[in-house]
Amino acid sequence: MLVALLDPYIYEGGVHKHGLILELLEDLGGYLVQKTAASTEVTLIMLIPRKDVHLIEELGTKLLGTITRAPMTGTEIAVVSPTLAYHHLPHSACDVAEYLRHGGANTNMIGLARGMGRRVALSADYERKLINEHDIAIFTFGTFSDCIMNKKPKLLEGINIPIVVTGGPDLNVEDIPNADMYIGNIGRVAHRLRGVDELKGLDRMNEKVGELVDRVREDIAKDPLAVLSPRVMKEIHEQIPDIHNVLAPAPITLQLDGLRVKLPYEDYHVAIEMLELDEGVLLSDVARITPSKMKNYILIKIRRRSDVGFIL
Amino acid sequence: MGMEPLETFVVQTTVEAEAAPYRKIIEDVISDLMIAGAIGRLKIVVRPEDSLFQMVTILREGLPLMKVDDFADVGKGTSMGEVQIMIREERPLPRLLESLWARYGRGAVTQPERRTLLITVGDPKTEIPLIKEMVVDDPRRTLRSRLVDMAIRSTPEGFRVRYHSLDDNNFIFVASEDPMKQEWIDEADKMLDELKGDDVSGIA
Repeated sequence: MLVALLDPYIYEGGVHKHGLILELLEDLGGYLVQKTAASTEVTLIMLIPRKDVHLIEELGTKLLGTITRAPMTGTEIAVVSPTLAYHHLPHSACDVAEYLRHGGANTNMIGLARGMGRRVALSADYERKLINEHDIAIFTFGTFSDCIMNKKPKLLEGINIPIVVTGGPDLNVEDIPNADMYIGNIGRVAHRLRGVDELKGLDRMNEKVGELVDRVREDIAKDPLAVLSPRVMKEIHEQIPDIHNVLAPAPITLQLDGLRVKLPYEDYHVAIEMLELDEGVLLSDVARITPSKMKNYILIKIRRRSDVGFIL
Repeated sequence: MGMEPLETFVVQTTVEAEAAPYRKIIEDVISDLMIAGAIGRLKIVVRPEDSLFQMVTILREGLPLMKVDDFADVGKGTSMGEVQIMIREERPLPRLLESLWARYGRGAVTQPERRTLLITVGDPKTEIPLIKEMVVDDPRRTLRSRLVDMAIRSTPEGFRVRYHSLDDNNFIFVASEDPMKQEWIDEADKMLDELKGDDVSGIA
């Protein structure tokens, strides 16, 4: 197989000479997923060919930066809270989202319109479709086991991506219908999560969600994508220069099996469909390009080898 | 009845282990709303399986007015006709500024640094005691709205059918997502009676 194994890493260090890392990364055939510069510091989220990670590590150490593995890189995770009221926000839902971003994930906060309560909780078709555009959905629930086990799971119905539930009590995932993973000790709180135990809970969440991401990656590897999403990202950067004028954070958001491109669908879907990946191979040959439920963005879902018949 | 702030603070839930985390939420709400000093006794019962939240509170009497002297040092400024206020606590600052602007005009009040205010006044000697005694906040005036805010924030969000009563110093709040039942309100009344009789000094 020609597809190189790419490992996700985050580099944190000074702006000084960080271009050297980008050059090396390009030479090695890796991809820069996101670059965030804050005054003199820079954060690079990268996909590095597995066998060459040590080269980047060596250079990074020489530049006095740190390189850490970030298993959630290249994923888009929906953090779903029952509503946007102060009962759930900013703590703990925002803390959960922030922590996932430490692990390299791109997160979107979704507050349901009518997700509160027990008997009355419900989600709309539009909301479910929006959540299903992501790689993983994390539902942030509260303190009471009775609610989490018996009433809230109806919000999980119709979600066909892996579902993680967070809550206060210690529960078994088997007790929560439709959930794929349960993480306790992160219930409803009205303060910022910064206690030792609270941070431990968040660390455990990152670890377990990271494992879930690895599992999904392995599943995909059994019938690989016709083209790697970072590769598509690179082609968009080169062939559709307007992407550089997009002010949204992460103008191209990588997903495990696709990408979200933050350009208006009406104006750009043809250009995206005509994106040339190889001689005679267009993106529309290997991917489904649809309007996203998020604003008027473009959603690209890459098809599998068994479907397309080849890998680029 | 003279009471200490929060001398009784009980949270009960159906599953015992869930009471402590819920109490923590209430604690945060109380401190966010700066209402701890106003509450003498507080009891909350949550029965999620019945979609029921009950809260009874006995308020403390005689809440002190908040004066400038309570949170700031007022003294002479460096130049003539100037009063300097050094603030120890920042929360009442917006209200303090409003009062100062109303009395001396916006132009006369400057804030060269986060915790320092300089005011140009006619005669610092007479104005300094006046500023010291200036009432910045009357907790009794805002208590009612903060109390309601506390009740709503403490309740699980979906429980939007609410009953409340506030007479003298007794506050009862019952919330559910189902139609209100008289027995729940009666229960809360009983809780209040128990709370009143609950003498923390240990003398029955």
